[in-house]
Amino acid sequence: MAKKDTFNALVTRGVETSVADELLTKFSTLKSISEAGVEGLMEIGLSEEVANDVITKVGKRASRSTAKKKAEEVEVVHMEIVSNKHHEYSDEEKKLLAMEEELGIKLPLKVIVDIASRLEGADISDEKCRELLTVADRMYQSHRMDPHESAGVMAAHSLGEPGTQMNMRTFHFSGVANILTTQGLPRLIEIVDARRIPSTPSMDIPLKGLAAEDEKVARLVSYEIETTSLLNIATVETDITNMRMIIHPDQRKMDERGVTMADIIERLNKVKALRGLVSSDDFEITVTSDEPSFKKLQVISDAVKNAKIKGIDGISRAVLTKDRDDRWKIITEGSNLKEVLKVDGVNNEKTMTNSILEVADVLGIEAARNAIIREAFGTLSEAGLNVDIRHIMLVADLMTNDGYVKAIGRHGISGRKSSVLARAAFEITAPHLLHAAMNGEVDHLEGVAENIIVGQPVTLGTGAVNLIYTPKKGDE
Amino acid sequence: MKGIIKKIDRINFGLMSPEQIREMSVVKIERPDTYDEDGYPIESGLMDSRLGVIDPSLKCRTCGEKGGECQGHFGMIELARPVIHVGFGDDIHKILRSTCTECGRVLLDDDEIEEFTEKMEELQEAGESVEDLVKDVYKICKDKKTKEVCPHCGAEQEDIKIVKPIDIIEVRKQYDENGELMTEEDGTPLTEDYDLTASEVREKLQRIPDEDAYVLGVNPEVARPEWMVLTVLPVPPVTVRPSITLDTGERSEDDLTHKLVDILRINQRLIENMDAGAPQLIVEDLWKLLQYHVTTYFDNEASGVPPARHRSGRPLKTLAQRLKGKEGRFRSNLSGKRVNFSARTVISPDPNISINEVGVPEMIAKEVTVPTYVNEWNIEELKEAILNGPNVHPGANYVKKTINGKEMKVRVLDDNRELVVENLEYGDVVMRHLKDGDIVLFNRQPSLHRMSMMAHEVRVLPYKTFRLNLCVCPPYNADFDGDEMNMHVFQTDESRAEAKSLMRVQEHILSPRFGGPIIGAIHDHISGAYLLTRDGFTVREDDAFQMIRKSHLLNNEYVDKKHLKRKNRDWTGKELFSLLLPDDLNMNYKAEICRKCETCLKEDCQYDAFVVIKDGQLTHGAIDEAAYGSFSGKILDTIVKEYGPSRAKEFLDRSTDLAICGIMKTGITTGTNDEEIPEEAIEVIDAHLDKAEQEVDKLIATYEEGLLQPLPGRSAEETLEMRIVQVLGEARDTAGEIAEGYLTMGKQSQDDSYDYVMAVENHSVVMARTGARASMLNLTQITACVGQQAVRGGRIERGYINRTLPHFKKGELGAKAKGFVHSSYKSGLDPIEFFFHAMGGREGLVDTAVRTSRSGYMQRRLVSALEDLKLTADGSIRNTADTIIQFRYGEDGTDPTRSVGGKVIDMDDLFTEVLGDDADALLRLDSRDVGEDYGSREKDEMEYFEEENSDYESETEYESE
Ligand SMILES: [Mg+2]
Ligand SMILES: [Zn+2]
Ligand SMILES: [Zn+2]
Ligand SMILES: [Zn+2]
Repeated sequence: MAKKDTFNALVTRGVETSVADELLTKFSTLKSISEAGVEGLMEIGLSEEVANDVITKVGKRASRSTAKKKAEEVEVVHMEIVSNKHHEYSDEEKKLLAMEEELGIKLPLKVIVDIASRLEGADISDEKCRELLTVADRMYQSHRMDPHESAGVMAAHSLGEPGTQMNMRTFHFSGVANILTTQGLPRLIEIVDARRIPSTPSMDIPLKGLAAEDEKVARLVSYEIETTSLLNIATVETDITNMRMIIHPDQRKMDERGVTMADIIERLNKVKALRGLVSSDDFEITVTSDEPSFKKLQVISDAVKNAKIKGIDGISRAVLTKDRDDRWKIITEGSNLKEVLKVDGVNNEKTMTNSILEVADVLGIEAARNAIIREAFGTLSEAGLNVDIRHIMLVADLMTNDGYVKAIGRHGISGRKSSVLARAAFEITAPHLLHAAMNGEVDHLEGVAENIIVGQPVTLGTGAVNLIYTPKKGDE
Repeated sequence: MKGIIKKIDRINFGLMSPEQIREMSVVKIERPDTYDEDGYPIESGLMDSRLGVIDPSLKCRTCGEKGGECQGHFGMIELARPVIHVGFGDDIHKILRSTCTECGRVLLDDDEIEEFTEKMEELQEAGESVEDLVKDVYKICKDKKTKEVCPHCGAEQEDIKIVKPIDIIEVRKQYDENGELMTEEDGTPLTEDYDLTASEVREKLQRIPDEDAYVLGVNPEVARPEWMVLTVLPVPPVTVRPSITLDTGERSEDDLTHKLVDILRINQRLIENMDAGAPQLIVEDLWKLLQYHVTTYFDNEASGVPPARHRSGRPLKTLAQRLKGKEGRFRSNLSGKRVNFSARTVISPDPNISINEVGVPEMIAKEVTVPTYVNEWNIEELKEAILNGPNVHPGANYVKKTINGKEMKVRVLDDNRELVVENLEYGDVVMRHLKDGDIVLFNRQPSLHRMSMMAHEVRVLPYKTFRLNLCVCPPYNADFDGDEMNMHVFQTDESRAEAKSLMRVQEHILSPRFGGPIIGAIHDHISGAYLLTRDGFTVREDDAFQMIRKSHLLNNEYVDKKHLKRKNRDWTGKELFSLLLPDDLNMNYKAEICRKCETCLKEDCQYDAFVVIKDGQLTHGAIDEAAYGSFSGKILDTIVKEYGPSRAKEFLDRSTDLAICGIMKTGITTGTNDEEIPEEAIEVIDAHLDKAEQEVDKLIATYEEGLLQPLPGRSAEETLEMRIVQVLGEARDTAGEIAEGYLTMGKQSQDDSYDYVMAVENHSVVMARTGARASMLNLTQITACVGQQAVRGGRIERGYINRTLPHFKKGELGAKAKGFVHSSYKSGLDPIEFFFHAMGGREGLVDTAVRTSRSGYMQRRLVSALEDLKLTADGSIRNTADTIIQFRYGEDGTDPTRSVGGKVIDMDDLFTEVLGDDADALLRLDSRDVGEDYGSREKDEMEYFEEENSDYESETEYESE
């Protein structure tokens, strides 16, 4: 940008022309001015007061991108760190780790832990321990993957090939809870699609403290989670002659779910269509229509019947069951991780939802990555298929690499490839080519698809290396 | 120069300016005709011979080359009026909406322009897409367009609309005579839509300065916004749109030519009318027509535009259609190419060839050839081949010679063989027939994983089918019900060497999916090995030697002579099998036939299911699927990993040979006799099933009385349904268990007192228990009860109103009315049961059809997303943009193929190697994944568990093949 424009910009922002001139001796853009800060401006001889003034004026952009504004407004959820557990090394492990360092080798932690667990209590000399580590390292090195191996294609094949052996429609009851969850191929597709809401959202909520032991407490927790609608705790009657709805709460059911009359009235008053129409005596609640129209009464009737009195949005059912250790846990239909984590009695370290995007929103991208692995691996094992977890990890890492969950496909990774030809070969061919022309894109032919298109060796495996052979003098 | 691959470094994309199009053009096309009466191209017509020629007898007037040699040259059409390019309609709209109505500057202030320019330049340098930023610009400007004035000239703005795909409309505010803004009653300005002509659009675009165009996503280095409105149309060379001559001698033109004729015709008419000063209305109509033709020339499927059709009513295939989709240029011709030196035919099995081999019909071997350089070691052989000619098997079809720097290809014919042989010299290339030992690629579609394409050694065999060893059926997913496979012959030594070391079958015994064997014994190999190695099988010594001979164990490099000494007694099957095992092999595991007893008796197992191999001797246990079957063979797995693929290949070849010898010795036969159980057993089963049906009726009665206690969160109906399904499921299982009690493999041991006459040798059960084929579920369905038929995961619901068939009362809920099949397959299904069974069967078939397409698409997406990821030398996984996806592959860098059932290393091996015998105390043979499948390991670490609910699923499961 020309200096003149900057000058004009400064003046329009209310900076004195003399000051603007002075500023332009050192800075050429508004950005550089704001970056310099008050100190930077004072260096070129402005008083602190003027400098401050300039900075505030420059900082105030005439108009900012609305998208940016939104980004700033996004609510920052500060969550208490619920767990900070990491592996506590045993003495045996510490010893082996020290030896490892001394030997100058680096084994995966899992190997060290496994060796240590076997050494526990056995009388093995340090010398033998060192030998164990050396041999383990030799074995490990021989099991490592070769450089330039096409790990991606291997993962894609390993996930895709078993797809043909999976069932299409496998709704599956998870545990005794009789909650339907999608399984099999549709679920796997849903996971790689990074769908915002899975077709059967469900949560697995272990309880803690008393709730885990005592069924009564557990049930109370489940009522905090499960949506209680008015119809769950009351009978509703429509009085057409008087244009009103009469609600007869069932005290027993209310007690069971821990709802009071006041709760109901408060909740009903929060519903837009009912505001100001609710009245009550000790036993009944009446909602009277303020207009003598049946249409309005119908609206009121629907609003009353659908009124949510208690529980968490999105969770239509919460079923109590016991886990393997005979402790109570809740399985739900519907998912709302953020709210469930706030409920007392919920073991929020172990609470899981099958909605990956929700995990990403609430717990962050690393958690989402683990959720993808957990869900995909679970779906495949459920179908009785063995797929090495490393393949699934690679897919999960690729999907979450940018800090948000990207889908596998046109709207996600494939649509964002840097190569024009690769994108055009995948889907929506013509628009990709036209846009590439408009933007003046350059295809550097680094990937697989584009090199196949132009008829060159790909950059993986043997195509990634060059072999040069120089014959010895005598051979010629 | 041979051997050097011409490297394309990069491809730049850009728009062509009208000047460039004119410059590139060799001829200006003006006449909407193709050929004259004599069939010669018309000058300045669409087939002008300056555009290149197809007919080899003609010469190109531009480059002088013959047809076939000439690549073709572009021409052009000068459009009488500009037209909008369909592909850019949307972009033009967005650009106009983001620029000033008056001065054409982008509606950003200077700071914003600078900010975006900087960011975009940064991204462009990093080779990343600027699309997101451009979208931001569009968004900011769109908001400003209606609300603010131009930050550059201060002009009021008029909004721009688009009617897809190319009609650009300006929404003009209305002013009265006094220049006052006219408004509706509620204060919104009164507007009028004005259709911008392409010329006006072009003028507006022309006003946009380069710097502004840049932030609007038009890179001024290669494109200008106004180039998106065409004034001159390039005409592709004839080679792009060749005309074909039909059998009738009629000429048929390409769809593109048809379209270009249309464009030219309208263009001429438009020119004439404009020159004649025709009324504005007529000119505009013609202009619109021209726009229509150019639009459909580019994309005949643009939304909102009726597709141009052929006389027959078929829509024309124009430029976009040529590129798009599965049959389009990209996916059909560029990502996958047709090749020479390939063959395809039906496959059939051959247990006598190695897994590394493929049987090639002689007919094919004579057609696909291997180019061989003549040298002093092979000249005699090649001379022989040439003398044999193209029709006798080890022959040759062509000889390539280089004479005076010119390459010549000589066809070997009956009358020139001698001459060719005489002139054969070192350095010539002989295209000789395929012969035994050549390496070829073998493939079966769908190629879902890398094992779908492996390198085999050729065995030229008579007849007309490809022959393959049965062990390679699982990776190809092949059977012999008419499957066909493809073969490709390598044409260079480099490719041959690479294939031999990386793609050979033996290198793929282990699957990278789960790190276990995917190539292994199937069907009769397994039952054969079981019959051979189970306790009590013995053969006379001379028979044993015959089997050894037939299994090629006699002069085998891996079989120590010391094992082949006479014993002067009968040989046991275990002794025979032990010959195959490496002498230092030690292992034990539970076989497939293991019945998972409460406490395992190990060596004393009554089923002989605990396999012990000590120093290469099979001392206990029978060999079955768990030993060397595909997907689960433990011995096979150990041999590949410890002794290498060559040893494993030999083990697999020889053990399947031996298993076939075994099965030929014992014989195997199966029939419905195998599913026979005593009358009293059938009675017990029937009683059981009747009881269950009564129980169901009782449940229904309880429900109808309204006394059924609903499960938490479920309605009474749902609860009833679940209970019924559960009761019937249990009933079928019990029926199955009762039947299983009678379905034994035969006399299990010496003190087995059971002597039901049919069960002395029950080979159906042998096959099911050893994992050779079928399952006990299949057998009990044949013997005892088929069980509940399911559609959409529940009991059968659909059919008539409130009932499945007219044989039932409306609303009937009983077992039979909703698809419970009480009968067994053997006793036969009654018509109602048969009907329900067919319903369940149909769903299975539909399911398979849907599944293949859905999973195929998922895999295409996965491959497209992951294909560029590779392990770099530093152990990280990166994509083409060098972004790190994983710092260390799979968190430990271990190759799943080489992992030990998913684990990095085998702890037991480690301790045994280092500590020797002292290690015994530390080994965890018991807790070792004995009997467990591969890949189920990390579960605990992931704290993942899902309770099993097998009751319901297992019998609704419908095995479809
Ligand atoms: Mg087949
Ligand atoms: Zn030419
Ligand atoms: Zn302007
Ligand atoms: Zn046993």
